[in-house]
Amino acid sequence: MFAYIIRRLLLMFPTLLGITALVFFTMAFSPGGIGGPLLDRSGNMRGGQQQYIRAYYEKRYGLNQPKLVQYARWLNLISPIGFRSNDDGTLGSFGLKWPSLGESMQQHRPVMDLIAESLPITLLLNLISIPFVYGFGVVTGIISARHRGGWYDTATSLSQLASWSVPTIWAGVMLIGLLANRQYIKLFPTSGLHEPEAVFMPFLPHFMARGWNCGWLFDTAWHLVLPVVCLSYGSSAFLTKLMRGSILENLDSDYVRTARAKGVAERDVLYRHVFRNSLLALITVAASILPAMIGGSVVVESIFSIPGMGKLGVDSVQFRDREVVMAVTLIGGLIGLLSQILRDIIYAMADPRVSYE
Amino acid sequence: MENRFGIKDFFLFLLIAVLIGVVFLAMEQYDRQWAMIQQTNNLLNQQTNDLSQIRRLLERGAYVSATTNPSIAASPMAGFERVIKSHQMPDYAQGDDLVDTLSVVPEKLTPYISNEAASAIVQSGVLDSLCARDPNTLEWIPQLSDSWTISKDQLTFDFQIRRGVTFSDGSPLTADDVVFTFDLIRNDKFEDPALRSYLDMLGPVTKIDDYHVRFVFKKPYFKSFETVAGMGILSKAFYSKYSIDDLNNSTGLLIGSGPYRLPDPTGWRPAPGTPIILARNERFWGPVPSFNRMVWKIIENPAARATAFQNGDTDIFGGQTGGPSPDQYDKMCADAALLARTHHWALAVPSEGYFYLGWNEKQGRDGKPTVFADPRVRRAMTMLTDRERIVRDILRGYAFVINGPFSPMTPQADPTIKGWPYDPVAAQKLLAEAGCVMQGDRLCGPDGKPIEFKILYNSSSEIRKRIASYLHDAYAVAGIVATPQPQEWSVMLESINNRQYDVLLGAWTGDIEGDPYQIFHSSQIAGQGDNFIQYSDPKMDAVIEKARAIVDDSLRMPVWHEADRLFHEDEPYTFLFMEKDLDFIDDRCHGVEVTKTGLNGSLEWYVPQSLQKYHD
Amino acid sequence: MTEIGTITPLGHGELLATESASSSRSYFRQIVDSVLRRVGAILGAIWIGTLVLLAVFSPLIANSHPCLMEKDGHWSSPMLAHLSAGDVILQTLFWSGAVLYFIPKPRRQTRLILWICVSVLAIGIFPFIINPPTIVEYQIYREDQQAGKIEKVFYAPIPFSPDDHLFDQMEMRLTAPSRIHWMGTTSDSADLLSNMIYATRIALSIGFISTGIALIIGVIIGGLMGYYVGWIDLLGMRLVEIFDAIPTLLLLLCFVAIFTPNLYIMMAIIGATSWVGYAYFIRAEFLSLRQRDFVQAARAAGLPVRSILFRHMLPNGLTPLIVSASFGVASAILVESTLSFLGIGLVNEASWGNLLNQAVGEGGTFYWWIALYPGLAIFLTVFAYNLIGEALRDALDPKLQENK
Repeated sequence: MFAYIIRRLLLMFPTLLGITALVFFTMAFSPGGIGGPLLDRSGNMRGGQQQYIRAYYEKRYGLNQPKLVQYARWLNLISPIGFRSNDDGTLGSFGLKWPSLGESMQQHRPVMDLIAESLPITLLLNLISIPFVYGFGVVTGIISARHRGGWYDTATSLSQLASWSVPTIWAGVMLIGLLANRQYIKLFPTSGLHEPEAVFMPFLPHFMARGWNCGWLFDTAWHLVLPVVCLSYGSSAFLTKLMRGSILENLDSDYVRTARAKGVAERDVLYRHVFRNSLLALITVAASILPAMIGGSVVVESIFSIPGMGKLGVDSVQFRDREVVMAVTLIGGLIGLLSQILRDIIYAMADPRVSYE
Repeated sequence: MENRFGIKDFFLFLLIAVLIGVVFLAMEQYDRQWAMIQQTNNLLNQQTNDLSQIRRLLERGAYVSATTNPSIAASPMAGFERVIKSHQMPDYAQGDDLVDTLSVVPEKLTPYISNEAASAIVQSGVLDSLCARDPNTLEWIPQLSDSWTISKDQLTFDFQIRRGVTFSDGSPLTADDVVFTFDLIRNDKFEDPALRSYLDMLGPVTKIDDYHVRFVFKKPYFKSFETVAGMGILSKAFYSKYSIDDLNNSTGLLIGSGPYRLPDPTGWRPAPGTPIILARNERFWGPVPSFNRMVWKIIENPAARATAFQNGDTDIFGGQTGGPSPDQYDKMCADAALLARTHHWALAVPSEGYFYLGWNEKQGRDGKPTVFADPRVRRAMTMLTDRERIVRDILRGYAFVINGPFSPMTPQADPTIKGWPYDPVAAQKLLAEAGCVMQGDRLCGPDGKPIEFKILYNSSSEIRKRIASYLHDAYAVAGIVATPQPQEWSVMLESINNRQYDVLLGAWTGDIEGDPYQIFHSSQIAGQGDNFIQYSDPKMDAVIEKARAIVDDSLRMPVWHEADRLFHEDEPYTFLFMEKDLDFIDDRCHGVEVTKTGLNGSLEWYVPQSLQKYHD
Repeated sequence: MTEIGTITPLGHGELLATESASSSRSYFRQIVDSVLRRVGAILGAIWIGTLVLLAVFSPLIANSHPCLMEKDGHWSSPMLAHLSAGDVILQTLFWSGAVLYFIPKPRRQTRLILWICVSVLAIGIFPFIINPPTIVEYQIYREDQQAGKIEKVFYAPIPFSPDDHLFDQMEMRLTAPSRIHWMGTTSDSADLLSNMIYATRIALSIGFISTGIALIIGVIIGGLMGYYVGWIDLLGMRLVEIFDAIPTLLLLLCFVAIFTPNLYIMMAIIGATSWVGYAYFIRAEFLSLRQRDFVQAARAAGLPVRSILFRHMLPNGLTPLIVSASFGVASAILVESTLSFLGIGLVNEASWGNLLNQAVGEGGTFYWWIALYPGLAIFLTVFAYNLIGEALRDALDPKLQENK
């Protein structure tokens, strides 16, 4: 088992190399070099500045060199062993060094800072959705399996496929338009993760001099309601179906027949024996839900203007901000591969029939 | 096997996880409180220092004598006449915050290294320049410098610096700081490529004595004075402590002599969601600024900005910091409750910039001439474009048609020019003269092939999309197939730089007095110069060069008028319109006036005592 | 066993092929029957059928050009005059397909081949002989009608084309549904219903063709991996892992950033990023199949590899593929809508995704009709394909067959 894990981890590197190379050369061959720094606030260009700004950035980020060299430079940047670079851009000595993700061309800040600001937000969004997804999926799945063929079961199976088919973009737009708009009902905020005053709020609700202050926690929670709903309705429908199918499959198996023959009550059969075995299917799915949700949160973040990693990725592709795109790809790919390995490991641990030797 | 993982264990784990989460959050909260306490401490320290200094000065009687200290020119408050007038209004009161919004967090507040508009807005409250422009007469009035002379050959400028000016940390402002500022900007390693290019023609900057600086230019250029006089002056004592690389990588090193200051001049970091706050500079050498603080809230979503204004959370919605679109403006003007407590304006300001159709005169870079190489064709296209209708239908009337690159509100434009009217019949005649005749329902060029082209524009702009769609329909009536070609910004830039496009629907930002050299001079066709329509006319070149070299305003304007007439005749662009600046301001801000360059600056505003909202 | 041993090498492949073909046809019949018995699949098929009809007949249903017009004494049909080559090709394909389906005489295979010939001829010839006028001015008809220059005129049921920007009535932008515009107007002053009808073409074609491309790529790569285990498998698995772990939307964004997205490039791009699932399935199937007797026999008989792969192994591995393909079409439509919504996909042509993008205006105004109808269309289409996929899965799943 240990050897298997080591082997998978080692095999991760060529895959990561492939992922980053694919994205890098795609970006490198796309038309349009630096775009962002040349615009002013209303999207107008200022006359006469373009050539100077361009020349400066090309020299500083080495955009004139052949593409393979640029890719090699980036690899050198992120590896802990490589050439250190001097302040004026030339290569220094070879050896151990701090890996760095580079600097964003458009925002002039280290990419690490940008990721450190946005990754927690995306993770927050997804990790809050997961309990809802699982809770809803498991409970609904059990109830519909228990009353198989009843009205609850029929209603659920009709609606679960439907809710899985609802496009996230439609759900987001409708929710914002109807529930977060002054024209109709304004129950939720339009966008963003915090109100502008949130920085000055304490964590928990307080009565302050200016009146009731709902506190940072509740403010964030209120802003997160609609995005979490958008992110979780599809996955919870999928999980319901999975849970139901898994329970039904188990209800037909031998050991359940034995338990019933022994005289165990139906309730006990369901909750003590079948439930745990049915969870197996869910566990294996668990590890692939996180990368799927991270992909789905790109859309949700764009619609709700939440400054997470998905939005960072989309914006940086539009501005051709190469370093940020590569960093986002690297992290996204890493998460995806790690969750694949995790899924296989959990599967092996949970089901003793599976072995990787 | 039975006891592997029970429901009990699951809840136990959940409980532990929740506990850990709560502990972590509590720690964070404690951190934030601590940070606030630190800030309060810093402020208290500074106030204590101020108080002790004032006390010392009072003891020496220095405060009294400062007002009678003669400077070389007029009264010490020269240049602040308008501000003083507003301070003498009957309901004038100091205090309160002025709350505005920004649509993006500025990446850096350190001066000059980022050419973002958001940074410039914040920096304008903190830095002072040698001179400023009177918003109505457009003349230069004294600021840091109280008098200046221009040499006869218009190459040397001498500035006398006002005495008694200090930066917000108390250090005096002298000629050393001016020299330091310009040396820093022209330092090759400093990350301000565009700004450096403006100072190409500047020669040595020398300090004659502590309050006298001399600038020598290599060639006479009409913008030399403006560039030099409008540059914010940095403190040598503060900025020379940092190496160039530190400055390039820094995010918030901002200190100046202006009316407001950054409370923490070294430690600012861009934090999404945190407003940017400037506090009053108690040591400001001019009239005491009215507001306690200037606050900019960061609201990215335009709908959220509108909502914040309508809720009364912000005071300003408009202008430089991102205002309503024409449709939004109309909607807000129909809201009676909103109108009762706000004022709104649709102003024509010179810095708004203009929209244009750029006709590429060669196919690709230096290719064969296109049909637009003939000025008659270009004139005809202008006459086929109903610009009034575009302004009326697409911009709801919040724009005005222009006929040249110079803003009609400035002396640079020739007021006698009458633009080409919308006249399809005359256009057809002109086209026939140029050899374009109708064959069937298509208009064909002199080479016999039907005229068709693509209109390139930036796909992220709704207004441009509608204009391009309108042009498609309008030109179809004349038998021309004009297909809109939206492109992403980066891709569009690439097309423009390679001169691979047919027609460009674009916009330039404006200026009180713009220099058409970069856009219309033939030397800017090569490389990545901004003459991407590849327009080359020796007459125009000569006129532009002549005007650029004249430093005397009154002599230069007639030459610009000549250029304007040439623009009108040749129509290298079809100049479409200039948008109006749409502003909404909460009524609690008094002292707001309309000037020729837009609304007057916030230095002249105040909030009367009864309407003040934000108390410390 | 004895049968195989006595067959001559020459006829072996043909015999097996026809046998499997005939038994798979009756199996196919079985599947179709059991699928069509399910309500969900019927509803899904009805909706898809409606979409196909709308896509084929869209220029006849929604067109600003009048169907028939009498002007200055003589009749003309601007609608027919302005039909593009694509419209005519679609009509030819549809009618020839319908006719050939219903005449009983020649064998099914011959009819299929006939239809393919007609299609190829149409696609090859029509673009050259059908040239509608390039200059189109939709407002002329309305203006002439108001001026009284037209005596009689008959319009299509929806008298607006999708790119009719109402040049004569530009103030009709973003109006709510009314008697004239049944679904309101878009931010381009175009009729929403007409845009949605023409967008069915894009939705259907992107769905089918990109899934087709993904299937082809997936089958080839997965098949090769499953058949030639060893280092090809190792390499192939890395390739599959790369495309699986990469954040798909990011890759799509990058691809779309290279090429200005038009319809065909979008199809290719979406196809090139979604083949991974199919490769997994085929590889698993082939890995288990390659040990089976009939494959061993085929190899022993010396048949070429591609024959073994595609005529013998593939028909047996089709089952999970078909189910997966149905869900794949749904997902391709979703991906295209999402990209268009983000403003990165198709910008010029009307598609449900970029119509949905116009639903929330700049100032936060919510135009409910632009949000409701295109979103509903996407939802119903995806739902239909999912229903069909579910029904296929239930029909093809042997375990559920036993329980019946």
